[in-house]
Amino acid sequence: MLLRGIDRAAFAVAFAARLRRAGMAAGITETGDLVSALEASPPTSRTALYWTARVSLVRKHDDLAVFDRIFATVFDDTPPLPLSRKAIPPKPRDDSVNVAVPGTGDETTVSGLPWATLPPAVAADEDADDDGLNLPELRPSTLAALADRPFEDLDAAQTEALGEALRQALTHWPRRRGRRHRPDRTGRRVALRPTIARARRTGWEAITVVRERPVPRPRRVVMLCDVSESMRAQAAAYLQLMRAFTTVADAEVFAFATGLTRLTVPLRHTSPREAIDQASEAVDDRFGGTRIAANIATLLDSHHGNTVRGGVVIISSDGWDTDPPERMSAAMARLSRRAYRVLWLNPRAGAAGFAPKVGGMAAALPFCDLLLPAATFTDLTTAARCLADLT
Amino acid sequence: MNTPEDVIQRLDAVDYLADDGLAMAVYLALRLGKPLLLEGEPGVGKTAAAKALAQALDTPFIRLQCYEGLTAGEALYEWNYQRQLLHIRLAEARGLSVDDGDLFTTSFLQERPILRAVRHDGPTPPVLLIDEIDRADDEFEALLFEFLGEAAVTIPELGTFAATRPPVVILTSNRSRDLHDALRRRCLYHWIEFPTPAQAAAIVRRAVPGATAPLIRSATEFIGTVRGLDLDKAPGLAETIDWVSALAALGVTELASTDVIRTLGTIAKTPDDRALIADTPVTTPRARRDQP
Repeated sequence: MLLRGIDRAAFAVAFAARLRRAGMAAGITETGDLVSALEASPPTSRTALYWTARVSLVRKHDDLAVFDRIFATVFDDTPPLPLSRKAIPPKPRDDSVNVAVPGTGDETTVSGLPWATLPPAVAADEDADDDGLNLPELRPSTLAALADRPFEDLDAAQTEALGEALRQALTHWPRRRGRRHRPDRTGRRVALRPTIARARRTGWEAITVVRERPVPRPRRVVMLCDVSESMRAQAAAYLQLMRAFTTVADAEVFAFATGLTRLTVPLRHTSPREAIDQASEAVDDRFGGTRIAANIATLLDSHHGNTVRGGVVIISSDGWDTDPPERMSAAMARLSRRAYRVLWLNPRAGAAGFAPKVGGMAAALPFCDLLLPAATFTDLTTAARCLADLT
Repeated sequence: MNTPEDVIQRLDAVDYLADDGLAMAVYLALRLGKPLLLEGEPGVGKTAAAKALAQALDTPFIRLQCYEGLTAGEALYEWNYQRQLLHIRLAEARGLSVDDGDLFTTSFLQERPILRAVRHDGPTPPVLLIDEIDRADDEFEALLFEFLGEAAVTIPELGTFAATRPPVVILTSNRSRDLHDALRRRCLYHWIEFPTPAQAAAIVRRAVPGATAPLIRSATEFIGTVRGLDLDKAPGLAETIDWVSALAALGVTELASTDVIRTLGTIAKTPDDRALIADTPVTTPRARRDQP
């Protein structure tokens, strides 16, 4: 018998706290479950304890790696193995941020007044460049001019401002017919429940017939973005486009170079800068070679492969692929069979005299519904508009 | 089922081989009265686990297959509107008056799987399988919370039905969509790993009693090799069982390449996979013996 005579609650709370510090979401419910589970099945061996704790604390497949590591650290005498990059959990949110309150610090109470005063408004302009938190106000016309510039000529702040503008411009989203119904006067199907409810007011005589029609649902968009060396200049802007997709509606976004990285979760962060930083951190094969075909196949084989079904797939790449073109054809054929539409954004497609002659691009083209240029933010906005017209 | 070992034995008795992890998960789900969320690759035995559990507990098995747009009307309950209207007409003809209390009674209620599981009236609680929850949409997930948390269903016209003995609830998911944290919080969780070749052989032996031991061994090893290939749809355990059943039905006792080609349709599900699997060499026990 393991853990004889110990305080189960204290043990569970301490272990869950340890897991939480390691970045796993083990809350009160899970901790309570562990206490009940330990009571229901007092562990007789290390394996039994492992399964009891795992079944009651872990709720996600992604958390298994963290759990296994922490469990091993706590219950093994040996030190934990060296960690791979993938096993390192995201940093827990640090809530203990010290905010300097004006007028309370020693250095700000120059006047020695016993009350706090707001800092002078002029000061904000001067230190705007230092902390980097304030963006200079851009007039709409300035932004419009910037949007026509190629990505290479934009600095980080301009890219960010244009990304925000792009996000606000994304008001239309491709839609499909849903399977849920909503009462609507123009509908064809009779909604029985509201009709009977209405009939109650008229002595159970169904005088007004309520009709219903299907509710349109946003179509899922899956975007695959090339972040290899040849796409270095465009990668930052495409990250902004992917962020716009993830925050506006139902989208799954991935970055690829030699391997595939899912960026949907990091990019959903509320702060744009934090989102882009986390996403850049998640991609560890940035600016390497490109394996487009292999990555498309990886996506289709993974459990995210079903997200493509009936969705709009956007691939943004220049088509330089180290895999042979036949592989590209095979992967694209599979993709186009599964997806509703396939769009290809090519940064070079807008240039005069462009012809899709690169091996990968030429092989992929027959399976694309649209090939769109994507060298400026104006192009990206146009592409987003095309998306809405696909329904 | 009093201990995890007991769970293994009872499931074994109905020909489902559970490992320590699954046994612990099932045992805790039964003891704590919480729903159990099973995830794992397709064809790893998630649905079969729920069926076997119902068989082992000797209780009714209620299944709810999820799909997009699943509503309360299909999952929880629905009023029988046609009967209600007839009832109104009948009362009218007899010159009687009708009020709410007459129309919204349990006799006009159509039970759907979840309400049926809650209102089940028997010595043991039923096993309710909510299959492929990832195929339903967010709205349906939200609809489940009351049932998963309290084993109760509220019908506005009638009140709340709470289960006297909470049903055993098993949810399965293929991870095609991220489930909401609120749903995960209400369930215990177990990830079913793909079985090792030895475990797979034991499972296949149970599922296909007619197959010979060398056939099962070479077939599971072959599947192990094939799963390492770059396939569109890697064959799971369910496919392995189908395949061995097909081979056994053909009277094959030792695996040969021609048998693989003949029964390819049971393990290869796309044209590309057909070509790849057909090219994979078969290692028979005899061939292995010939090797140095």
